Amino acid sequence: MATQGLEQGQSLRYVRTVGMTTMRGRGFYYPIDSAMSNSGRLYVLSRSFERAVSDSMRVTMLNEDGEYYGVFGSAGIGDGQFRWPCGIAINDQNRVFVTDEYLNRVSVFNESGEFLKHWGSGGEIDGMLNGPSGIVFDQDNNVLIADSRNHRIQKFTSDGEFLQSFGEYGNGDGCLNLPWGLGVDQQGEIFVADWGNDRIQRFTPNGEFVAKYGSPGRQEGELIKPAGVIVNQEGYIYVADWGNERVQVFGPDGEFVQKIRGQATNSEWAEDFLGVNVEEAGARERANLEPDIDYFNDDPHEESSHIEKLFWGPVSLMLDSESRLFITETNRHRIQVYERDN
Amino acid sequence: MVAEVKPRSLVIVQLSGGNDALNTVIPYGDGLYYDWRKEVRIEQDRVLKINNHLGFNPALRSIKNLWDNEKVAVINGVGYPEPNRSHFRSIDIWNTGESVGIGESGWLGRALREIDPNGENPIAGVNFGKGLPRALSCKGVPVASVSDLENYGLFPDIQGERSRDLALSAFSQIYGSAMAHDNVAQFIGQTGIDALKGADILRTAPAQYSSAVEYANNPIAQSMKSIAQVLTADIGTRVFYTQHGSFDTHAAELDTHTKLWTETSDAIGDFMEDMKEHNLEDDVLVLVWSEFGRRIKDNSAGTDHGSGGTAFVIGGTVNGGLYGDYPSLKETDQLEGDLHFNNDFRSIYSTIAERWLGVDPSIVSNGYFEQHEFISPLAYN
Amino acid sequence: MPENQIELIAHLARRAGFGATREELEEYAGIGYEATVDKLLDTSSPKWMSEYLIRRYHPDESSMLAGLSGLEAWLYRMITTDTPLLEKMTLFWHGIFATGYPKVLNAKPLSDQIRMFKKYAMGDFRNLLVEMAKDPAMIIWLDNQQNHKDSINENFGRELLELFSMGVGNYTEDDVKECARAFTGWTIGNCEYMELRSARDSDWPYGRISWHYEFDANDHDNGEKEFLGRKGTFNGEDIVEIICEQEATARFIARHIYHFFVADEPPVPQWPYQAPRDPEAIDQIVQAYFDNKYDIRSVMKFVFNSDFFKSEDCWYEKVKSPAELVTGVMRLTESVDRPQYEHSSRQLRMQYMGQTLSNPPSVEGWDGGTTWIDTGALVERMNFASEELGRVETPGSNELFNKIAFEGSGDIDADRIVDICLKHLGTINVKDDTRSKLVNYVSKNGVIKVEDQGIDEIGKEKIAGVVKLIASTPEFQRA
Repeated sequence: MATQGLEQGQSLRYVRTVGMTTMRGRGFYYPIDSAMSNSGRLYVLSRSFERAVSDSMRVTMLNEDGEYYGVFGSAGIGDGQFRWPCGIAINDQNRVFVTDEYLNRVSVFNESGEFLKHWGSGGEIDGMLNGPSGIVFDQDNNVLIADSRNHRIQKFTSDGEFLQSFGEYGNGDGCLNLPWGLGVDQQGEIFVADWGNDRIQRFTPNGEFVAKYGSPGRQEGELIKPAGVIVNQEGYIYVADWGNERVQVFGPDGEFVQKIRGQATNSEWAEDFLGVNVEEAGARERANLEPDIDYFNDDPHEESSHIEKLFWGPVSLMLDSESRLFITETNRHRIQVYERDN
Repeated sequence: MVAEVKPRSLVIVQLSGGNDALNTVIPYGDGLYYDWRKEVRIEQDRVLKINNHLGFNPALRSIKNLWDNEKVAVINGVGYPEPNRSHFRSIDIWNTGESVGIGESGWLGRALREIDPNGENPIAGVNFGKGLPRALSCKGVPVASVSDLENYGLFPDIQGERSRDLALSAFSQIYGSAMAHDNVAQFIGQTGIDALKGADILRTAPAQYSSAVEYANNPIAQSMKSIAQVLTADIGTRVFYTQHGSFDTHAAELDTHTKLWTETSDAIGDFMEDMKEHNLEDDVLVLVWSEFGRRIKDNSAGTDHGSGGTAFVIGGTVNGGLYGDYPSLKETDQLEGDLHFNNDFRSIYSTIAERWLGVDPSIVSNGYFEQHEFISPLAYN
Repeated sequence: MPENQIELIAHLARRAGFGATREELEEYAGIGYEATVDKLLDTSSPKWMSEYLIRRYHPDESSMLAGLSGLEAWLYRMITTDTPLLEKMTLFWHGIFATGYPKVLNAKPLSDQIRMFKKYAMGDFRNLLVEMAKDPAMIIWLDNQQNHKDSINENFGRELLELFSMGVGNYTEDDVKECARAFTGWTIGNCEYMELRSARDSDWPYGRISWHYEFDANDHDNGEKEFLGRKGTFNGEDIVEIICEQEATARFIARHIYHFFVADEPPVPQWPYQAPRDPEAIDQIVQAYFDNKYDIRSVMKFVFNSDFFKSEDCWYEKVKSPAELVTGVMRLTESVDRPQYEHSSRQLRMQYMGQTLSNPPSVEGWDGGTTWIDTGALVERMNFASEELGRVETPGSNELFNKIAFEGSGDIDADRIVDICLKHLGTINVKDDTRSKLVNYVSKNGVIKVEDQGIDEIGKEKIAGVVKLIASTPEFQRA
């Protein structure tokens, strides 16, 4: 029964929802990744889209109670600007790193959002980037980047000096297809959301293949286009099973533990909005937000488009110091927080 | 002897996204304003005072200067019955003048058709920006849309004057000979020749222009400069259209609103200065509008979609002043938490159509609407 | 391969698709005309750029806070599909059942509607009409949520007869009312909240929510109706069944098919007053409709194999719609093999040419024909086509350079250059005087030389110049 006890402790329970959609300022607009500083400040990266106003593409700073600290960044090609921002990570000195998969560069900001520098350039040779997406720091404070259109993972120093690269295009062990999110466990092993291959791959700190988890499908333990992966202190693997619009928990050896589909409630900011716009609040109250209907092609993406509380575009995962899981949802512009069920 | 009458031009500046009227012309003398606006507000001492009740947002300094010279009509509480708070729909209503059904033509397109019924001038109406606003669209009315005046026309991407000239000359020959073929080819051929002609005329405007005014380097200022260039070239363009935004300030309103209004107000101030320099101040009228106002109560970071807006009419011959009552902020006077409209926007169209452009107001404004006195009636001989 | 055979297939490709590259045309010609028709009609497993890829790189193209994003996704499908007829049929039905953003004010249901058209585009016309009547965007567009048992709203009932099936003059005002009664209770779920969100353009707090059809049995009029001379307790499905049996329906759809696929007709409102361009062709399509029990795929098969379709009298007798023009140009460049940042602007260019999909100018859709052409629109069409096709770095341009290099080294004859370019751009048949002016342009622009290592950059720019000019000819505006 010990195993069961462990799994019990590992299962997730919904806590709250953070954020709301807004085109600029306080709120998110297609958030694609989030990071947290030592002090617990959240940095949420809004992808926005090509035609939107420039200041919709930004990093929003807040805490989980909805305290708002401002934004930085905008759409463009100048210093501190983005075109296709994709990943965000914070190093041990609270420097904020943002990848841009169009401009093929990494922009660095201080913790209050002042632009410091950017590095990286487009190309195929080692150290050059083609679609940098997921980004994470390892224990040595080096940065790992999913160089997605080069189908490889590259390691750099915080200053952008190339250290190492592994992976190539394909679907064999250790090969990658448009990799996206990255995670690093306590031992420094690297977990890659191998998006195009519908699986998670695990590598040693030096990039040697260790294991792969998941196969294409909608059943328990199967994955469709996973976007994010993170590993907790006990080695449990959380996967943003993006194409299935869910989060799955795997045990340290990859065995299926749990799947969650989301149960968002009103965030502080959502309450503010509904407090001012009372007609909408009233009509919302009277509506059945969980209708029982058939969805186009039985696609969970469609189900999520109809039922607002479900994950829609769960793209990135983050753990705080209390091992609570923060799930960023691109299409619902919010973060759902889960804790472990002790 | 009859003095030569210069043709009058109309410039439309659309504030897209829904400008917060309450923070544009501010009822700073009304305590309710500060009760409703806990965060997103302009303090009394910063308001540019019009009277002891109303004042401009400090970002509108240039417009305030024009106001002081009695060149600005402020129309309060502008809207239409059963206000729609969707950008798209409300813009369409303003563009077509049709607030119930789906309108088929734009009010400026209809005005142009009245001015030039045979569509003889291919550049009677020009939009500065991308695409064509619905306001200018009307069957048989040729209009141009210009994103970059100096490079406007065919083959803007061909490098080198010689190469481009060669291509354009071949183009003109091909389109000329198309006229000899079937009806459709003839029609396409004629349209192509017209397009070429219009582009040739428009492109010449910047070269003829000189001015002491230096416009800022932002989109609205550059658009106003382009309008000044075409206007001073005197090539027959009567209606100019441009827009600026986004005024959709659900969040970060104070910063955004200040920036956008500073740009817009300064651009209009520079433009009027430019017109003065070219002795055209009395021949041009600028209408500034937005699809709706915003909620009376703020949401602590910004304001959500509301109704009841403000519009400005600016020009040398404008009878400056306040038009229409400022909507009441009392809870009982509100419309679903918004400013109640007092003035139908089509009254503005009607006034401009009849008293400025000299065309049938009912056709342009889509019905009969009471006119304002911000322009004196045209004197008929 | 006889060139006239390829030209006929190029005509088919422009009508049953968005035009084709020279290579595709030669491949089609290899299997023959009829086999090509069958191939185009086979829509069993269409492939296009993966939806997952689109979602990953352009989240708004699946979630759609903005009104136009669904169109960008549709444009990707049109450009990258291996089954172009399916997209063309979808465009066709969208033009008839034209539903627009200004009233729906939620792009997701509009995009769902387009997918529904695609799913039912080539099947039994009855199914398409029933699904169209249940479509949430259509319900809001034509006010059917306000069509109640005790107070009917005729809007949908009327347009179903007037615009979607029979055409004016073929039914009475009583038929309209009875038709509307049969569709009472056909509404959308959470109507109050969804309508309010649209009216306020609200995507708060968490983005758009999709709509779903709901049948409100309590609000449905179960009473007896008399419709087109028949009596019964008809519901919407029964009404559709009766409509589809009507000769007027067959004629109306036949004329639409002719107008969209064969040759431009005057705008729809003029149809009651102006005879069809080819009445005999219409009769034949009507016959095919009944012979095949309303199966649209079979009707299309008949049309594409008919003599009137193949006749040179109707080649180029259509002005390309902006959607066809943009799609066709991008397919020729062969450059859209993955999501691109620049894609969004292509949809905008289409808009500047005068067509915003899911935003028709009225309930009657787009008039088509020469109404696509005005000075502003023509400048946009020519500039877009010449800019995109004139890019020297695209795979399409590379193929063209290879073809010219294949001519052998030395100066290439101006005549020959024009020939190769015209073939390369989908085998365009230009008038003789257009052709001579193109040749004249090439001669004036200086010789194009093939060296041992191919064509140099200057030569490529010169060839691109010819391509730009062809892309802006009057002939290129037509399909």
